[in-house]
Amino acid sequence: MKKHLLMLASVSLVLAACGGDGGNNGDNNGGNNAENNGNNGNAGGGEASGEGGELDAEVVVGEDIEGATEFTFWNFQELHSEFFEDAVNRWNEEYPDRPIQLTAETYPYDQMHNNLLLSLQSGSGAPDFADIEISQFANYLQGDVQLQPLNEHIEPVIDDFVDSRFEIYAKDGEYYGMDYHVGATMMYYNEEIMEEAGVDIDSIETWDDYVEAGQQVVENTDAVMTTVESDEHFSFWPLISQRESDYFDENGDVILDNEVNVETLQFISDLVHEHEIAQIAPGGFHHAEEYYGFMNEGGAASLMMPMWYMGRFLDYMEDLDGKMQIRPLPMWEEGGNRSAGMGGTGTVVTNQSEDPELAAEFLAFAKLTEESNIKLWEILGFDPPRHDVWESEEMQADNRFYDYFHDDIFEILTEVRDEIAEINITELTPDAQEEIHSNVMHSVLREQSQTPQEALEQAAEAVRSRVVE
Amino acid sequence: MNKNKTGKEKLISTGMVLLFSIIALVALFPVIALVVASFSPASDLMRFGLTAELFLSSWNTENFVALFGGEGGAYWQWYINSLIISAFLIVLSLFFSSMVGYALALYEFKGKRFIFILVLLILMIPFEILMLPLFTMMISLGLVDSYFAVMLPLIVAPIAVFFFRQYCLGLPKELMESGRVDGCTEFGIFARIMAPLMLPSFAAMAILQGLTSWNNFLWPLLVLRSNDMFTLPVGLATLLTPYGNNYQILFSGSVMAIIPIIILFLFFQRFFIAGLTSGGVKG
Amino acid sequence: MEKTIEVNSPKKRRSRLLYSKKIAPYLFVSPFIISFLFLSLYPFISAFNMSFQRVLPGQTQYIGTANFERVFNPTFYTAVQNTTVYVIWTVIILTLVPMIFAVILNHRLMKWTNFFRASIFIPALTSVIVAGTIFRMIFGDSDSAFANQVLQLVGLEPKEWRYSAGTAMFLMVTLASWRWMGVNVLYYLAALQNVSQDLYEAADIDGANAWQKFRNVTFPAIKPIFIFLSTITTINGFRMFEESFVFFETSSPGNIGLTVVGYIYQEGIQRNDMGFGAAIGIVLLAIIFVVSVIQLYLTGAFKKDDE
Repeated sequence: MKKHLLMLASVSLVLAACGGDGGNNGDNNGGNNAENNGNNGNAGGGEASGEGGELDAEVVVGEDIEGATEFTFWNFQELHSEFFEDAVNRWNEEYPDRPIQLTAETYPYDQMHNNLLLSLQSGSGAPDFADIEISQFANYLQGDVQLQPLNEHIEPVIDDFVDSRFEIYAKDGEYYGMDYHVGATMMYYNEEIMEEAGVDIDSIETWDDYVEAGQQVVENTDAVMTTVESDEHFSFWPLISQRESDYFDENGDVILDNEVNVETLQFISDLVHEHEIAQIAPGGFHHAEEYYGFMNEGGAASLMMPMWYMGRFLDYMEDLDGKMQIRPLPMWEEGGNRSAGMGGTGTVVTNQSEDPELAAEFLAFAKLTEESNIKLWEILGFDPPRHDVWESEEMQADNRFYDYFHDDIFEILTEVRDEIAEINITELTPDAQEEIHSNVMHSVLREQSQTPQEALEQAAEAVRSRVVE
Repeated sequence: MNKNKTGKEKLISTGMVLLFSIIALVALFPVIALVVASFSPASDLMRFGLTAELFLSSWNTENFVALFGGEGGAYWQWYINSLIISAFLIVLSLFFSSMVGYALALYEFKGKRFIFILVLLILMIPFEILMLPLFTMMISLGLVDSYFAVMLPLIVAPIAVFFFRQYCLGLPKELMESGRVDGCTEFGIFARIMAPLMLPSFAAMAILQGLTSWNNFLWPLLVLRSNDMFTLPVGLATLLTPYGNNYQILFSGSVMAIIPIIILFLFFQRFFIAGLTSGGVKG
Repeated sequence: MEKTIEVNSPKKRRSRLLYSKKIAPYLFVSPFIISFLFLSLYPFISAFNMSFQRVLPGQTQYIGTANFERVFNPTFYTAVQNTTVYVIWTVIILTLVPMIFAVILNHRLMKWTNFFRASIFIPALTSVIVAGTIFRMIFGDSDSAFANQVLQLVGLEPKEWRYSAGTAMFLMVTLASWRWMGVNVLYYLAALQNVSQDLYEAADIDGANAWQKFRNVTFPAIKPIFIFLSTITTINGFRMFEESFVFFETSSPGNIGLTVVGYIYQEGIQRNDMGFGAAIGIVLLAIIFVVSVIQLYLTGAFKKDDE
């Protein structure tokens, strides 16, 4: 306020200066002439190919409908806008008496999460809906939770779902988020390389078999068996989760340094340094451009990533079209789990929504119905969390994912449905994640400056030290 | 002087020129490389880095086609944001900072010394320490995501106040007296009589403040929220992340962000140099 | 007409104000006072206050010195260590090398001074983000990236620049040095203008060699700039964030790129723990203060000019 007074004061000073053009200091006010060229942002659906995404990714759906309730939606993945665009259109057809207009805005990952946190905390500026990535979710559950509980819609249908996908977005019995996928972790094999090495993919049942196959690959081809992430967690977390371990136990206590985790990390390290059948992913993780380039040129024979990674193959690794086979993970021991649920993004309704009831109802329509779960597969290529649709006919319809990979993807998924362990998310998950990303994997795999035991103990200690009170 | 150079002197001279030719090449190499890179396929650059093959062979305009074609929309919005913020900031900060510096140099008043010491003190305190409280202040004032929030901390820049003060110390005080005799207000004396004498310092500070604002990163990163409010550096940084897939704009956009500045520099070298070396003016 | 009569008397009062030599300076400096109060003093006090709080949505509370107790953890030490190493390298490189460059550029036998001066100044015009982008491409991880090809050409192993502590520091220091070299050269050049050629000629007559001339004639003239640049470079070094951000964004492998300000950003903004972030800031301020005092003491800036 004082600033405004000051402006007024100085303006009057200028006017009162002895006549004429006071303040002739050689600067033109060039600010306003730059007003033309607004933003030409119509992102339009288009093919969901990754190249050349729009910079100003804003999609507005239902703007031509009169009296529609206006909602905004923030996400960090443009494809999610496309999915919601479809959902709004279906909603408006089905409930013409309660139409919705949705503005979906895509921001960079960090920017979106920071902004959302900020606007929820400051009590204004938040959207009605937002996507929150699983490792960030805990940040939003601190203090008074500023999100809308969604139990009313989730509880009636939870039995048809892989229910662990709701527990990860819950606090004190209240469910706050609805996910896009199960994130079942799978092994992607490059069949061409495997054949060249003389390995039958289906003969790989245990990790021992996998290591053996890897040795054959390294001997007989120019490729390595696989790559491991040194900057992210998609080599470590799925493997410990597969063995029903985790960063935290169900009580939220840190178990990052337990025996299973140490052993598992040792195994990963051995793949690289002992058996020499794996290398660190170029660029440090499986979403790096350097990695895409490497994999696309047949650099590695296999890759362990969740189902939702299929889209990256289509977008970034065109040369592997028709060559990739999806299989369950090798087992640790006979009868053990063959998958793990990894990653995830919960869509939430914020408490700043003007019509939270309608918002929640729409979100349930967009995420919980059978039809919507089929759309999750059709539009996004995700393994939908509602498992009773996996074997439905619509899921079998030809699409670009089947074309790139093969037909029996959901049969494989159904096979491992009950082999997906729950993961325990706590307020400290972002800290554990940060330790894994920036210290553990780096010092064990890349620098070899610490043993798995040392690195995990240090990380666990760092996380424990953050427990307040 | 008309001395003939001896052989030894010629040798020294050639050696020094040769040495600096290499230094200049090293200094200019990244800029040249950026321009060359902007004519290479963007995803190859991200995957393999700047390779000699790309450097020598490619001449591919797709990055610029993307920038000037439909996909550059938000980029140009960032450009406009940066232009608007820099222009306003130059005008506001020159106006306010020059007034303060002028008064500190040419008036006698109680508290003058104390205020000057405060200026120096703020010059020494890193902005980053005040960043979080300032940020919460912007939130409670509802200024987040506005041009004003980006400009605010720079409007009365201590470095500019300091520079103007030092400059004004060298101005003839007698002119102020004759202005008073002519019946000018004190502000009139400043605006009509003294300010024209300060023109070179205005030019230097305009460049310093303009460049600071054009390249400013951390503070805008905090207070700007929406895509169409970003400034150029903040916007370009979002293109660097592995999850964004618009590398074409990253390279062509980077080139477009620095070329105008370099052209301005070639025309106004003297003021650029005065502006960027303003911290060292002796009192 | 009527209007002027109406406003006449307030105008007169205002006039007196505007013509007053006593009041004018206070009006002139008022923008600074206001900005100082609201944009420096208040945030400063508030930073102290926040550092004793746990700031949560709707649940802000005082928690004594808990934030400060937490500050001194291994991650913070890594950040301080990285920042300190960065400061040391940049201070050495950005005070000594430009001094040598300036002396050469100022040499009477030097040619094309203006061209060279402009060339090395141009990097200062780029933003860190733009400069860093191209540095990342030049120092790409693949064997075929430019810097690695140069290494291979001279028979060295290619490096993964962004993945080990040494090379990461090299990248950040190189980026900063590249950008600021030209500016610092200009500072020295300006100071060198004050040295008259007569002094050199006198030294020549005395039979002084090049080093003696530098020590006794050149250096005294540029010493204030030397002190100034080392102080500024130190402070800027401790404030470093962007040079790391452009290579690693907000999280680096093994925290090799983590700086103190980066840690403030991570905790204060990303983790939304403003109180903790503020506490890190206060500790940083203390570090900078102590280092600056030591530095000024060592460079003799506190000594009166009684030599």
